[in-house]
Amino acid sequence: MATKVVMAQLSPTMEEGKLVAWKLAEGDPVSQGDIVAEIETDKANMDVEAMGSGVLRKILVQEGATVPVGTLIGVIADPEEDIEAMLAEAAAAEPAVAEPTEEPAAASPTADLPPGVPTARDGRVKASPVARKMAAELGIELGTIPGSGPGGRIIKQDVEAAAAAGAPAAGAAVAGAAARTPGAVGIVRPPALGEGRLRDERIEASQMRKAIARRLAESIGPVPHFFLTTEIDMERALDLRAELNAGLDGFKIGVTDILLKTAAEALVRHPEVNASWEGDVIHHHGRVDLGIAVALEGGLITPVLRDADRKGLRQIAEETADLIERARARKLMPEEYQGATFSISNLGMFDIEEFTAIINPPEAAILAIGKTRQKPVVEDGEVRVRRRMRVTMSCDHRVVDGATGARFLATFKGMLENPLALVL
Amino acid sequence: MIRVPARVPYAAGLEWQRRLARARIDGRLSSDLLLLLEHEPVVTVGRGVRPEEVRSRVGNVLEGIPRFEIERGGDVTYHGPGQLVGYPILDLHDYRQDLHWYVRALEGSLIEALEELGLHAFRVAGYTGVWVGDPLSGPIAAGGVRKIASIGVHVSRWVTWHGFALNVTGEALGPFGGIVPCGIAGVRMTSLETEGAVWAGGEVARAVSSGFARAFGARLEMSELAELEEAGLGLVGE
Repeated sequence: MATKVVMAQLSPTMEEGKLVAWKLAEGDPVSQGDIVAEIETDKANMDVEAMGSGVLRKILVQEGATVPVGTLIGVIADPEEDIEAMLAEAAAAEPAVAEPTEEPAAASPTADLPPGVPTARDGRVKASPVARKMAAELGIELGTIPGSGPGGRIIKQDVEAAAAAGAPAAGAAVAGAAARTPGAVGIVRPPALGEGRLRDERIEASQMRKAIARRLAESIGPVPHFFLTTEIDMERALDLRAELNAGLDGFKIGVTDILLKTAAEALVRHPEVNASWEGDVIHHHGRVDLGIAVALEGGLITPVLRDADRKGLRQIAEETADLIERARARKLMPEEYQGATFSISNLGMFDIEEFTAIINPPEAAILAIGKTRQKPVVEDGEVRVRRRMRVTMSCDHRVVDGATGARFLATFKGMLENPLALVL
Repeated sequence: MIRVPARVPYAAGLEWQRRLARARIDGRLSSDLLLLLEHEPVVTVGRGVRPEEVRSRVGNVLEGIPRFEIERGGDVTYHGPGQLVGYPILDLHDYRQDLHWYVRALEGSLIEALEELGLHAFRVAGYTGVWVGDPLSGPIAAGGVRKIASIGVHVSRWVTWHGFALNVTGEALGPFGGIVPCGIAGVRMTSLETEGAVWAGGEVARAVSSGFARAFGARLEMSELAELEEAGLGLVGE
């Protein structure tokens, strides 16, 4: 009797595998249990054993090719046996046509694979047409329910049971399912709760997310934070920026650039803030290297503007623009985002008025910048509209005391409110 | 767990693993094994490499070092002194019949071991192996993340052989300049020593064993080579 050799499923999460090598050539005799081929997934190789005896009559998938799990890759049969029907079936299965009414052969040579979501050769969930239609009408995603039919196929009773048990609705995936199922378009019923837009799901944390979690938890745990907030009148700083930009021939200095320059100057005057706790010593850094928190898709990174105290506004603006651009493109070298002595995080563009940032160790402080807004301010007994910005400084209390932080912040505020010192 | 004290020539180690795996499959070997050893210098070429690519991957630098084409997954790897090689002979019927799970668990073993040795290590999605450095540093080619351990496994009837190689001392890195390890252009290899970790004698193998036990939920017993030799399953050619 002819025996199929199929791409085995080496993992429930494996959808396709690579045929690494054939151990036999067409025409070679085979005994059950012989290794006929070798397949690979994710740096793991597995021997494929013959499930029957005879001759390796046909090799259907060449070495180096990657095919879906369950694909017929070869046929073992007696030398004279007619295998045309089996080959025709494999050829028919290839372009993924119509409803699979007959089940393909078991996907794996090992009968005791853990149960997974049953899928046909074309990657679709195996289900009867009735079950498919019913699931679409009920808004149940077929991939989320177990099948009790032959070969794990999902049948009508499975969908009914899932509906009774409150299976997850198809949500975003419905579009695809509906498109494949004629007549189902638009028949999407959200689950009983609310709008049906939310899905209960667990998303594996990316390496970046894990690193952020680890570093920031390291910070808020052992680093005793405290927070100081002040409001700064930005009228003169913004006027100065406008004047500078008017004379710069197209090049623009941003508010963040002015804040970086101001912070650098203030740090030079308060070296006790430009410092790190190093166990038994407090390290006052000899350079002012400013970290600039930049939001990225799925995380953030803090490129470092080196020697900010020795650079003019224009140079700061140019270097910062370059750093931020490359940070967003994830092209920074490690030395470009490591080793800051103080950081600034600006969420003004997100319309945040005021927030507290978490210190990036081993720095001793970080400045959280809110959005500059027009506000009524009482001045000399009169109400005036002024552009105001709220900043909150997070301090490592091991290094910076309340009064130390307050003095730094007073300098920072004073410079922004009387900004001519910055251009001198 | 069996720690082989002497450096094992690759061919002997390979033949030994195959015999042990066969014995595990047919029941002559009744328990799973974790072999920990060091190899004499060798370049191995996994099934992921086409024959015509071998030369460009290996280059001329490693000429004179024996080269083996073997049945594990993965690409080109160097083994040699300063590298702790682990070959688990496991019957995955007792764990999970899931090769993705198995490879991730091997990575997890080493990550736990390195954590114990004071080095933070992690996985990089899509690049099997164990990495250190700063995962925020962007593309691998930038060098901000470095590969400290390689993995390549083979399974027959759900019994595993081949396994992992952890670079311990800088000596393990010497020739890596000459090849593109694992086919990842620009990847930088590193070692425990290069990363500044310090350890006492035997501590690395101990940490790897306990990391392995934790990741697999297994209990490890120290075993003697002599026991295997009595069963006709010893390492020959030494």
